[in-house]
Amino acid sequence: MFAKILIANRGEIAVRILRACRTLGVEAVVAYSEADRDSLAVQLADEAICIGPADAKRSYLSAPAVISAAIVTGCDAIHPGYGFLSEDEGFAEVVRAHQLTFIGPPPQVLERFASKEATRRLLGAQGLATIPGSNGMLRDDLHALEEAERIGYPVLIKPSAGGGGKGMRMVRTPRELESAVKICRSEARAAFGDDSLYLEKWLEDNRHVEVQVAVDRFGHGVHLGERDCSVQRRHQKFLEEAPTPALGEAARAELAERAIKAVVAAGYENVGTLEFLVDGSGNAYFIEINCRIQVEHPVTEMLTGIDLVVAQIRIAAGEPLGFSQADVTLRGHAIEFRINAEDVEHDFRPSTGLVERYLAPGGPGVRVDSHLFTGYEVPPFYDSLLGKLIVWGPDRPAAIARALAALDELVIDGVVTNVKIHQALLRNETFLAGQMTTNLVDRVGAGAFLAAGAR
Amino acid sequence: MPDRKESARLADHAQIEGLADDLLPALIAKLGASGLAELEVREGDWKVRLRRPTDGGSSTTRSATGRAAARAAQAHADHAHGDHGQVDHGGSEQAGSETATNPYRTAATSPAVGVYHPKAEVTSGSRVRAGDRIGSVDVLGIPQEVVAPVNGIVGAAMVESGDAVEYGQELVWIELIATTAERSGRDA
Repeated sequence: MFAKILIANRGEIAVRILRACRTLGVEAVVAYSEADRDSLAVQLADEAICIGPADAKRSYLSAPAVISAAIVTGCDAIHPGYGFLSEDEGFAEVVRAHQLTFIGPPPQVLERFASKEATRRLLGAQGLATIPGSNGMLRDDLHALEEAERIGYPVLIKPSAGGGGKGMRMVRTPRELESAVKICRSEARAAFGDDSLYLEKWLEDNRHVEVQVAVDRFGHGVHLGERDCSVQRRHQKFLEEAPTPALGEAARAELAERAIKAVVAAGYENVGTLEFLVDGSGNAYFIEINCRIQVEHPVTEMLTGIDLVVAQIRIAAGEPLGFSQADVTLRGHAIEFRINAEDVEHDFRPSTGLVERYLAPGGPGVRVDSHLFTGYEVPPFYDSLLGKLIVWGPDRPAAIARALAALDELVIDGVVTNVKIHQALLRNETFLAGQMTTNLVDRVGAGAFLAAGAR
Repeated sequence: MPDRKESARLADHAQIEGLADDLLPALIAKLGASGLAELEVREGDWKVRLRRPTDGGSSTTRSATGRAAARAAQAHADHAHGDHGQVDHGGSEQAGSETATNPYRTAATSPAVGVYHPKAEVTSGSRVRAGDRIGSVDVLGIPQEVVAPVNGIVGAAMVESGDAVEYGQELVWIELIATTAERSGRDA
């Protein structure tokens, strides 16, 4: 096991990783930007070190700053969290060159799975059905038009790098395609420094279902069931649950088993998530793999009782998984609500400001992963995630009932949040029937959800 | 001083220059090393007084070096211990929170997280101009320049050569010169 871990992230995930380190009895150092000087992670940390100014490019995204901080504080490993440097194989490589361990897949594994388009082919060869898409990256407009014609409209333009819905556009006509490719290229370049794009067949009314896996260095892999992340707005997930209401028990088990078999065969290592689109008939198509801990990992932790961040650290340290598939039992139903500093009534505009009062809900089956506290100033420089409310119940209706009570209990004064959209969803018939599709909120409009929820 | 002769004015200036060049650097070094709050020296009909402000403990001031360690100390110490955990990496006592309240000095800060190396020829008492390179912070072997933020005289160092420093950490005081000399007797 590591002696000391540098946490190179912020917000709720920095706190989450710190807690995992404490569980393991490993010392931790929180690396922070000037804007996060007063953050909860820094306050809770045994040791913290300022790595740069508010601008993430010079702090959380700066490989030299992060690695230098690890070295001067005597750390032997770096946990990148999610976002920032978490899936940057170049960073993982430099970390290793400095005799430090990157907590995640080893650099050569990250590299193998770095291109989404190549990964689709790699796992397709291991027996996973993949979504029809372009052969390779889009070279130019003409190539894009030809490929879209071959696949058939509508198509989804996707960047090869990154995630979080940036640089993604669905188009229905050749004319739309040309202008959208330009926009996606510039968005992808700005967000990930890489403007390679590819095309995927757009499935109308699809569901987003993902399988959590954990594979150790010795090739022992288990799946930890799936999560449904179909509740999205502009390709951004904001509510996740497990099990997925989209598939029956046998279909879920089969999907998870195929997923773990394929990634083990492809040489994956550490925790990861395979994302699938599920069509109306229950066919699942692999789209991409996330080689990191995900925002929604607590949903799986609630069902399995397995600490995924601890597992991630152990695997990176070279330890065997320590449990087998037979030890993984999926109990009950869990739902995660991303609490964002967003004004749902004004086009989800990000909000900032001073948290004048914060009260977290509690009770059986209620978990809150957040970096908020009364008096915290939400800085304007980073994403809008304020925390996550996760509820567990023996079944979906029980989890929903607990969620309604917990959302009512939650108090965040001073900063506008998206709690209203969650409350509206929990009263929405389509959601209650377990029939949300990824395009629904955008198609109907968030406003309509809110108005219906207010009745 | 409306009626003062030009020659008298020039003479004063020369004297002030002399004090700033000869006396002040030595005094600053002394004050920095001593931990005294105030030092006053008379020379001719001039006196020079150097004063550390008594810390008002303004909550908006940034503490000096060893913030991370200080914070850790705070996190574990009981709250009666106060707001200013005065702990640092090296073990020597550090006065935090001085910069913002002391108009006579300002700190040169670290441009990055790494290992600090002051420039050999820049020592306590050296005169520097704003923008002068006074040292560097090594980030993975690549030096990042530490520059003097203002014109002044290099005062007490807050970290030693070879110490690990974080971004924005205060490294060395730069004492402002013009405002620290005042005339005794006349014009007082």
